[in-house]
Amino acid sequence: MTARSAVRVPGALAVPPVAFLAVFAAYPLVYVIGLAFTDSTLARPLQRWTGFDNFRTALESQSFTGSLWRSVLFAVLAAAVQLVLGTALALLLRARARRPGLLGTLLLLPLVTPPVMVGVAWKLLLAPVGGALGGVLHALGLPGVNPLGSATGAFVTLVVIDSWQWTPFVMLLVYAALLGVPDDLREAAALDGAGRWRTVRSVVLPYIEPTLLSVVLLKLVIGFKVFDIVYVVTAGGPGFSTTTSTYDIQRTALQEFDVGGAAAATVLFSLLIGLVTSLVAVRRKRHEEVAV
Amino acid sequence: MSPSSPLSRRTLLRASAGAAALTAAGPLLTACGGSASAALDPTAKPDLDGVTLKILANQPNALSFEYLRRPFEEATGAKLKVTPVPYDKLTAKAVLDVQSGAGQFDVFMYWYAAVGTLAEGGVIEDLTAYIKAHKDIEESDFLPSLYDTYTRYDGKRWGLPYDGDTHILFYNTEIFERHKVEAPRTWDEYNDIAAKITKDARGRYYGTIIEAQQVPVILGCDFANRLAGYGGSFLDASDAPTLDTPEAIAAAQVLFDAAPHALPTPLQIGFDQALPAFLDGKGAMLDFWTDFAKRAQDPKQSKVVDKWAVTTLPVGGDNTEPRTSLDAGFGLAVSTASKQKEAAAAFVKWATAARQNLLVLAQPDAGADPVRTSTLNSAAFRKNSPGSYEVVRTGLAGDPLPWPTVPKAPELLQTLVDELALGLQGKQSAKTALANTQRAWAKELKGASG
Repeated sequence: MTARSAVRVPGALAVPPVAFLAVFAAYPLVYVIGLAFTDSTLARPLQRWTGFDNFRTALESQSFTGSLWRSVLFAVLAAAVQLVLGTALALLLRARARRPGLLGTLLLLPLVTPPVMVGVAWKLLLAPVGGALGGVLHALGLPGVNPLGSATGAFVTLVVIDSWQWTPFVMLLVYAALLGVPDDLREAAALDGAGRWRTVRSVVLPYIEPTLLSVVLLKLVIGFKVFDIVYVVTAGGPGFSTTTSTYDIQRTALQEFDVGGAAAATVLFSLLIGLVTSLVAVRRKRHEEVAV
Repeated sequence: MSPSSPLSRRTLLRASAGAAALTAAGPLLTACGGSASAALDPTAKPDLDGVTLKILANQPNALSFEYLRRPFEEATGAKLKVTPVPYDKLTAKAVLDVQSGAGQFDVFMYWYAAVGTLAEGGVIEDLTAYIKAHKDIEESDFLPSLYDTYTRYDGKRWGLPYDGDTHILFYNTEIFERHKVEAPRTWDEYNDIAAKITKDARGRYYGTIIEAQQVPVILGCDFANRLAGYGGSFLDASDAPTLDTPEAIAAAQVLFDAAPHALPTPLQIGFDQALPAFLDGKGAMLDFWTDFAKRAQDPKQSKVVDKWAVTTLPVGGDNTEPRTSLDAGFGLAVSTASKQKEAAAAFVKWATAARQNLLVLAQPDAGADPVRTSTLNSAAFRKNSPGSYEVVRTGLAGDPLPWPTVPKAPELLQTLVDELALGLQGKQSAKTALANTQRAWAKELKGASG
């Protein structure tokens, strides 16, 4: 340690970041936890201490517990689909050119479209009357087919829409990682007689695995947080088929005005997200340890 | 941490905890402190000249205030600033405006089913004394079928009626003639007609359009219309739920039975798909709000101009008297966070007067319906509502079905539509759906009273 680095730092310098953390991180957390343990409505928060009642009610609610499983399924399914598609696109792009160029820009368009507009566009596309898909199906002799009308159809449609929007994001990250794969590794593999697919499988993908795990982690978090397209396209229906936890919590807080219940549900949902994402994080950490 | 730093980890944690405690205490103190705004003086005579009144309005009705803006300004010198909000965000926006202390609005347009929520939450002013002090409000002229329902909670009046919404049944006369059917008188006839047309049309159009998105103002209306027709109710006189009655179960069953013959797929159909479908001639029947008649007759929006008619909602069971339901419907109230409550109350009084009610009724895009006996019976309203006048009058002058207005109403109605949606999805019977709803409502209402 040099003499210069040993100079004492005034404590006041730490006040801004501490205040920032207190206001933007600690405050919302403490407040949400406070709401979760009280009888709170939108108009009258923090009315009465209720202990774990809100948590009990949330866990007894089929609407909420069902939404937890749907959120997990949606996040995992969307992350898997987008990882496969995004990686495939990135490999194709990397194989064809050093720079993505116009094709890359076009592929990124869905990513920069506001999610609400994505939802509106898809809803118009899928509308049973006047929708483009409905018109095609009608011409094929299949009138009245509405993919949003069945539980499975609506859920799959949401995964498709989410994938349409987020696959370019995955592609971008994976493409950046592919640029970091040394050429001599590929050349060595080629000298050893590995074909293109074998090189990708045994050399390229293991090399970029930390990036892939980070992408999965990010996509899981984004998938858990999905709200816009659910709100616009299916409104959680039909029935509860596409009611994810974010949608259910919003409904509890802003339509039923049960803010205490929504806060308890938020805490439980956060714990679930932490649990699922930590599994990926642990895998990533192990990979790093092995690499070291 | 370096020993040379004056900040230890413990100090940082203490500072963070202190800051967090202070920030967390903020809302607690606010919650205890209540509103700082002065109470409404019922007898004050405010000078409105130069005042700007900010109104939170339901989006479909927002244009009505444009028609009131000029006459109000000419009469008082006051200006109006209107903020439209979608109907399903109206209550939350009003609550948050007051609860956050923002106080951006003086007047709230409110869905009447939320009157208990808003009153209990301290969001709107008690207008009982104000109404008593202003005889020119002419209380007795407000339609008896909606006055108490729209404004009364806990023995007090919290607003005045502004838009008296009800549903009527629209049908496509061309399709009806083609299939040789007549306007249904009962919900069973309605289902038979829907089934026949859908079957015969083979996907070119459908026998009916049922909007059944899982939202109280959408799916709730479908059920309420049938419940009204069967002579049922949501709550009894003591505010106990009455959803396990034969009338309620029959109403749900007849709704479930209609769904397979409706434009696919009812649970995903909202206003944005139902209205274009009817205006495009893709659906033979649609129960909707009365002002839709003006759009159906507008050649810019409609392909069914002069090819539609209206009738009263069908009846069912032992009930033979046509009966509508008070689906939606709005009042005007004064925000407790307003800093010019007397001026806001003066506007509420002025805007809900018979003259202004007539003024907005004459405008096709104002989304307004009568709230007063004098305007409902007026020659001007009759002239402006060709084709639908008698049907609207029958509904509002009769004994329409009121929706719950207790503070827990938003929660109760959401539970109801959740259970109905599961029924429409085929996951449970009408009886089970309503038994579950009855149980949940009883629990909520017991908890609320206890």
